[in-house]
Amino acid sequence: MHLLLQILVNGVLLGGLYALMALGLALVWGVLNIVNLAHGSFIMLGAYAGYYLFTKLGVDPFVALPISMVSLFCVGYLIQRNILNLIARAPMFNTLLITFGIDVVLTYLAQMIFSADFRTTNPVYAGDNFAVAGITLPLVRVLACGIALALTIALWLFLSRSRLGRAIRATAQNLGAARLYGVEPRLIYALTFGLGAALAGAAGDLYGVVSQINPYIGATLTGKSFAIAIIGGLESPLGVVVGGMFLGIVESLTALYIGPTYVDVVSFGILVLVLIFRPNGILGATA
Amino acid sequence: MTARFGLIIALAVAALLALVPWVASPVLVQFGITTLLLATLAQGWNIIGGYTGYASFGNSVFYGLGSYGTAIAMVQWNLPFGVGLAFGVVLSVAFAFLLGLPVLRLRGHYFAIATLALAQVMTAVVSNLEIAGRNVGLVLPLLSGDKLFYELSLGLLVLATLTVFWLSRSRFGFGLIAIRENEDAAASMGVNTTLYKVLAFALAGVFSALAGGIHAYWITFIDPVSAFDISLNVKMIIMAVFGGPGSILGPAIGAFVLSAISEVLSTEVSTIASLFFGAVVIVAVVFMPRGLADLVRRIRKTGWRYFSENVKSHRL
Repeated sequence: MHLLLQILVNGVLLGGLYALMALGLALVWGVLNIVNLAHGSFIMLGAYAGYYLFTKLGVDPFVALPISMVSLFCVGYLIQRNILNLIARAPMFNTLLITFGIDVVLTYLAQMIFSADFRTTNPVYAGDNFAVAGITLPLVRVLACGIALALTIALWLFLSRSRLGRAIRATAQNLGAARLYGVEPRLIYALTFGLGAALAGAAGDLYGVVSQINPYIGATLTGKSFAIAIIGGLESPLGVVVGGMFLGIVESLTALYIGPTYVDVVSFGILVLVLIFRPNGILGATA
Repeated sequence: MTARFGLIIALAVAALLALVPWVASPVLVQFGITTLLLATLAQGWNIIGGYTGYASFGNSVFYGLGSYGTAIAMVQWNLPFGVGLAFGVVLSVAFAFLLGLPVLRLRGHYFAIATLALAQVMTAVVSNLEIAGRNVGLVLPLLSGDKLFYELSLGLLVLATLTVFWLSRSRFGFGLIAIRENEDAAASMGVNTTLYKVLAFALAGVFSALAGGIHAYWITFIDPVSAFDISLNVKMIIMAVFGGPGSILGPAIGAFVLSAISEVLSTEVSTIASLFFGAVVIVAVVFMPRGLADLVRRIRKTGWRYFSENVKSHRL
């Protein structure tokens, strides 16, 4: 019973970070209808930003988080403004292909610049734990999960309350009508994509603290982000949190009771089942 | 240029290609085998992606099932290569019917993601199967005969291309195109869309499985990660789209051109070859989104304006 509780807590902590990883992907997909295959590479770049700020300049990874976000925002903004806006109305294959091309370019640029070695952002407090009611809580994971949840709430508030957030949602609902009300779609698209990349940057910075990174982690992270976004649904940041937590818990339970090698079978199997039976997500309306 | 005339030229080119292993260097023959198999995969993807309009990321599963079917039959049961190939095809067709059927109900991005996830599931399942050698994979008996494998691959590509040629003028093919253009309208016109989609998926699977089986026996070693490699699936899509999805020769030509580009790049500027490949994909999608086939057809009329018109019609 105690072990099960510990596993559940681990799953929830992992799930918070998963949610943050998927948040940017879901935002871009839901608003711009672009399935961004380069999303995992954005997370990877965010992780390297955190790593270099820490090792070269001694910036604490939690302080580096906003810097990582701003850098990735610029990367995303420029990519949407100069490349993706050019094909925004092209058929779906083409958006998939072009983001794949961007993913390849980013991965190999990263390999040239950062080398293929595994790295970890390793602050002195990385190994610290504390216990609550007999449950061990790794400090870094708790912080990472907390920040992930805070950013999710911030995004939700931004989309529902701010003027720009409403412009973004209006664009998602009806591009033509939004244009009539003075929304400039090219700018909104670039800002939204930049925002998605910034969230990936935050997720990457935190990921580098809890896991090993190298230039090739992007593909797996894109896959996981997809699974979470689909399981949670694309409508609201809350759904993505549920999706992330769900996947985190399921993965932890699978690793314990069935075996670590079955984690991917179960998580992607669930994704397929959700797609077939509840294509709008677990929380979403039935199709 | 009519389709029939193009096909005659293509068969002549195929006859010339058949002579390659007798005159070219071993390195070129090996490059040829890889390219011919990739072209077959692109042609297979063309049936489900190009004609039916379903962006399948699950074709690498067919390839993997073909590889593993052949390997399991030859290594575990000591059966001949031909039986192994047939076993791989049976596995693929079964997969198309059992898992393709529910997944083909999904449309657009959702279909793409579901097939992507299925590919991940299959990789993980196979790496837990004792009969498939778990994570380690299987080692096939060695048959050193690049010429034979080259001719087999070429024959398979010709067969796949002839099948697509038949599709382009058969009732079945018209049904697939109708599904691509407007699935609901196709259904209301009496096309059994479910049956057509599954058959197209299975047909794509047959060619991909054969390519996988040939590749497995040629390379003599398979493991779950490389046999079910998602990036192989992305490659076949890029080749088909670069050449011209929904055309007869486009996917094969796309595969030849892109393989040649990446081969030249990797010998000339090896460290940044992949980077250039990514850049080529980006530029191609922006400037010629309907592939080489459309470029050849239309550039004579509009010249260089062809590129700017493509950008104008798709830009935000």
